[in-house]
Amino acid sequence: MKTLFVLLMCLAPPVWAQDWKLDAGKSQVQFVIKQMNVSTEGGFRRFIVHASFDPAKPEAGRFRVDVDTASADTGSAEGDDEVKRPAWFDSKAHPWAIFSAKNVRREADGRYTAFGDLAIKGQSHALAAPFTLTRQGNAWLARGRFPLKRSAYGIGGGDWTDVVADDLEVRFNLVLLP
Amino acid sequence: MNQGYRWPLVGLHWLTLLLIVVAYVIGSLLEDMTLSPLKLKLYAWHKWAGMTVLFFLPLRLLLRLTERIDHAAGLLRWEARASAAVHGALYLLLLLVPLLGWLQSSAAGFSVVWFGVLPLPDLVGKDKALAEFFKELHEGSVNLLVTLVALHAAAALYHQHVRHDGVLARMVPWLRNKP
Repeated sequence: MKTLFVLLMCLAPPVWAQDWKLDAGKSQVQFVIKQMNVSTEGGFRRFIVHASFDPAKPEAGRFRVDVDTASADTGSAEGDDEVKRPAWFDSKAHPWAIFSAKNVRREADGRYTAFGDLAIKGQSHALAAPFTLTRQGNAWLARGRFPLKRSAYGIGGGDWTDVVADDLEVRFNLVLLP
Repeated sequence: MNQGYRWPLVGLHWLTLLLIVVAYVIGSLLEDMTLSPLKLKLYAWHKWAGMTVLFFLPLRLLLRLTERIDHAAGLLRWEARASAAVHGALYLLLLLVPLLGWLQSSAAGFSVVWFGVLPLPDLVGKDKALAEFFKELHEGSVNLLVTLVALHAAAALYHQHVRHDGVLARMVPWLRNKP
C-alpha cells in the first residue's frame, strides 16, 4: 500500500510542471489602434492559453497563447468581417496568431518579461512581452501590454494605410487557474 | 431702418446650411456603403461637419439674440407664431441632431476627434444597445430637421416672390436695396 502511494506520487506531475487552465470569461486579449487618428479598442473573442509554471518561480515556466484570428471584435460587424479577409489576418489560411514564450525573465517583484516569438499570418518575429503576475484568490492574473506594427506582419495594407495606423498596442489580461 | 442681419450671423447661417448638406449627403451615402477606407474617411468628415454645426451654435444664438429686427412686423398673428415656432424648432434640432450623433458615436465605441486634432470626450460608455437607440433618434431628428429646413426655405421664397416684403433679404445681403 505504501509502495503504491509512493508510486502514485511519482506518477503525479510535479507542481512546477502543472498545466494551468484559462478562465476565459475573465480573460481578455485586446488591441488599441487609431483609425483616422481616433483611438479605438478591439479584442479577440477566442484564444487558448497553455501555461505551466510554478507561481514561486514563474521564470522557469512556459507560456503560449493561441489567438483565433477569425474571432476579432472590432466594434462593428462589418469590421469583424473585414479583418478576416486576405488583406488583414487572412483567417482562412492563417487561423491562429501564436505567441510562444521561450523564457521568462524576472524584472522585479511580480514583474516579468516573456521572451518569445509572435507568429501571425505566416511571419514570425521575436517579441518581448512585459507582464505582471498577481494572485487573485486561487487564480493568477497575468497582465501586460506591448506595441506592435501591422506592417511587420502584413496585416491590412493597401488603401487602409492612411486610414488605420500602423502602430497598435496589444493588451492582455489572462486569469489562470491551477 | 435696419435692413437685415449683420454679416457674422448671415455667414454662420449659410455656413450651417452648407455643413448640414455635407453631413446629410455623406450620412445618406454611409447607409449603403460597405466598409472601406473611404467609408472611414467619410464617417470622419460626417462627424466633423456635424460637430462644427454644434460648436458654432452658441455663437449663432448669441448673435441672433442681439439682433433688433422685429420679426412679427407685417405678419398675421398666426404667421408670427408659426414663424417663431419653426425657428425655435430649427435651433433646437441644430443642437439635438449633432448631439445625438455624438452620443451614438460614444456609445458605439468610436470617439470623435474633431478634424483629427481635437479629441472630444465620450458622452456615454460603450454600449451596443444604446448606440442603436441613439442611431434611431439621430436619424429621426435629422429627418425632422430636413423637413423643417425645406419648410423654412419655402416660407423664405414665399416672402420673396409672393409677398415681396424683403424678409429673405435679411439673410441674403445682395438682395437688399433693390426696389
